[in-house]
Amino acid sequence: MTDALTVNAVQKHFKGVHALRGLSLQVERGITYGLLGPNGAGKTTLIRTILGLTVPDSGEVLALGVRMPDKAVLQRIGYMPQSTALYDDLTVHQNVAFFAALSGVTDPARVDQAITLVSLQNRAQSRVRELSGGMRQRCSLACALVHEPELILLDEPTVGIDPQLRVQFWDHFRRLNQAGVTLIVSSHVMDEAERCDKLGFVREGTLLAEGSASELRQRAGTPTLEEAFLHFAENGASAERIA
Amino acid sequence: MSSQRIFHVARRVIAQLAADPRTIALILIVPIVVLTVAGILIRAETTAITVGIIQQDSGADAGFGIGFVNLGERLTASMSTVSDQVTIVTLTPESADEALQRADVDAVITFPPEFTQTVMDDHAIHLNVAYEGSNPMAAQFLQGIVMRAAVETLAGLSVITAQAIPEITIDAAYLYGGADFDNLDYLAPPFIGLFVFLFVFILTSVSFLRERTTGTLERLQTTPISRLELVIGYMLGFSLFALAQSLIILGYTIFVLEVHYAGSLLVVFLVELLLALMAVNLGIFFSTFARSEFQVVQFIPLVVVTQILLSGAFWAISAMPAWLQPVAWLMPLTHANQALRDVMIKGFDLVQVAPYVLALGGFAVLFVLLSARTIRHQAGG
Ligand SMILES: Nc1ncnc2c1ncn2[C@@H]1O[C@H](COP(=O)(O)OP(=O)(O)OP(=O)(O)O)[C@@H](O)[C@H]1O
Ligand SMILES: [Mg+2]
Repeated sequence: MTDALTVNAVQKHFKGVHALRGLSLQVERGITYGLLGPNGAGKTTLIRTILGLTVPDSGEVLALGVRMPDKAVLQRIGYMPQSTALYDDLTVHQNVAFFAALSGVTDPARVDQAITLVSLQNRAQSRVRELSGGMRQRCSLACALVHEPELILLDEPTVGIDPQLRVQFWDHFRRLNQAGVTLIVSSHVMDEAERCDKLGFVREGTLLAEGSASELRQRAGTPTLEEAFLHFAENGASAERIA
Repeated sequence: MSSQRIFHVARRVIAQLAADPRTIALILIVPIVVLTVAGILIRAETTAITVGIIQQDSGADAGFGIGFVNLGERLTASMSTVSDQVTIVTLTPESADEALQRADVDAVITFPPEFTQTVMDDHAIHLNVAYEGSNPMAAQFLQGIVMRAAVETLAGLSVITAQAIPEITIDAAYLYGGADFDNLDYLAPPFIGLFVFLFVFILTSVSFLRERTTGTLERLQTTPISRLELVIGYMLGFSLFALAQSLIILGYTIFVLEVHYAGSLLVVFLVELLLALMAVNLGIFFSTFARSEFQVVQFIPLVVVTQILLSGAFWAISAMPAWLQPVAWLMPLTHANQALRDVMIKGFDLVQVAPYVLALGGFAVLFVLLSARTIRHQAGG
């Protein structure tokens, strides 16, 4: 089986900003990969490029073995944007059902399952406008998961989510991994990064270093991931990748 | 292209609007309020007028089985049935000038002795009208009434003699050229179109813009739905509301404001619907150029007002400078207005207004394709 994701020397310029500088990345199936980096590092741009929402200046992306952009493969990919992109006037159920239908889900039970998964079953008939920020975030996650994709891209999924639910989410992500689903999660919360199978430190559009949390700490010789990140950031040029 | 996905988008658009009763109420009520005010103002301009008639027509034998006809008398009779604002007084050539000078009458119409015979010979009506002229509105109003009376008289005759004699033709420039009968009758057809156009345009452009600013459009782009499916889904979803609005506007204009209509209401409705579809697509198209709802509002003077001015609704296209006339015909609204006027005032049928209907449909398709294109280009951003 092909890797879940291959990013090959992707470059992206915006007006005056070099958001991705020849970034390459390989993610095997069935793991949770954490993209870690400060604001403006290029995490969102990378995720959008993987989805084909942003067209890179050069380089290529293969998602589930298919060269992006590709409409058909999108049905097997789930995406949760950084901002909760939902229809405020519609209910939780209407939102999830709409995105499910567009992705070809025919079984209405799947919609309820996704809503239950994010613990919104009691608010399924509430309009999104009336939800709290964290609840919106959960509804957005349900929309990304409802069609049971093989590759899931989550742009800071746990921002604004309370600790108890966060634990619940990570448990679910684990179960998805066991079923062979690949997750790519961006974050700048380091303790959350510990839960990822593999981490990529992103800064100024490049991959500084890559590996499991413990590997990265070991290589940097630091007790915490924060310090490890700073270590790699300072020695950016010399940091080699761990395959 | 998946009809399933199009259907889901259409249904979602409907659910969204249905969740916003205030907007729906505005869509349905505002046109009625504005139409009522405009109707009162426009009608108020047309005051009662008195027409002096110098009746010298001796009539003529029309032959072909209808026998002797006095068109002068028929026209005079028809004028008082066409409008209850008109009072007819009979004058002699000697008393006419004085009556006009004293403003006892607003206009004098002379039917010369051979009037009927001339009409029969020339197949054209040439009326001799002397306006008092101090009230141009009244003059304009009367001109409209005379036109309509002439049309009705001749139409009545040709119904009787449909088989027997060739239809009497009237100098077309004289018949329609700026002929405003009741001003509201003249303005109502474009008004009907304007409302549908304005509301549908604003509603769609704002909704679609929101789709972009909230990020849901981006989310849609990560599902298998294509841009074309999305735009068509939008079009269908909004047509439901456009349909309801068209029905209400049309019903109110015809049955409450009692605006006259000559042609088929079904054709009027069809034109309305096409106009609405065109407006949905135009709204989506322009929303792709706006970054905020403020900018959408800025588009209204540009897209809506300019188009209304150029559409021939208030200023006849034939009266525009020659270089501007082709521009006017590039406006989708122009075709809608033209079709609505032809059907409602002249009683044209679908075949006769087909060029306008096709043009409207063409614009609708064009804007769907353009919207699908601009959405794609921005996706690259
Ligand atoms: N559409 C755009 N137009 C112009 N510049 C952009 C655009 N999108 C991103 N950028 C720039 O690209 C750089 C990377 O942005 P990106 O959103 O990928 O960062 P990020 O790692 O997701 O940050 P955060 O943690 O704050 O979400 C930033 O400097 C940003 O200003
Ligand atoms: Mg980001």
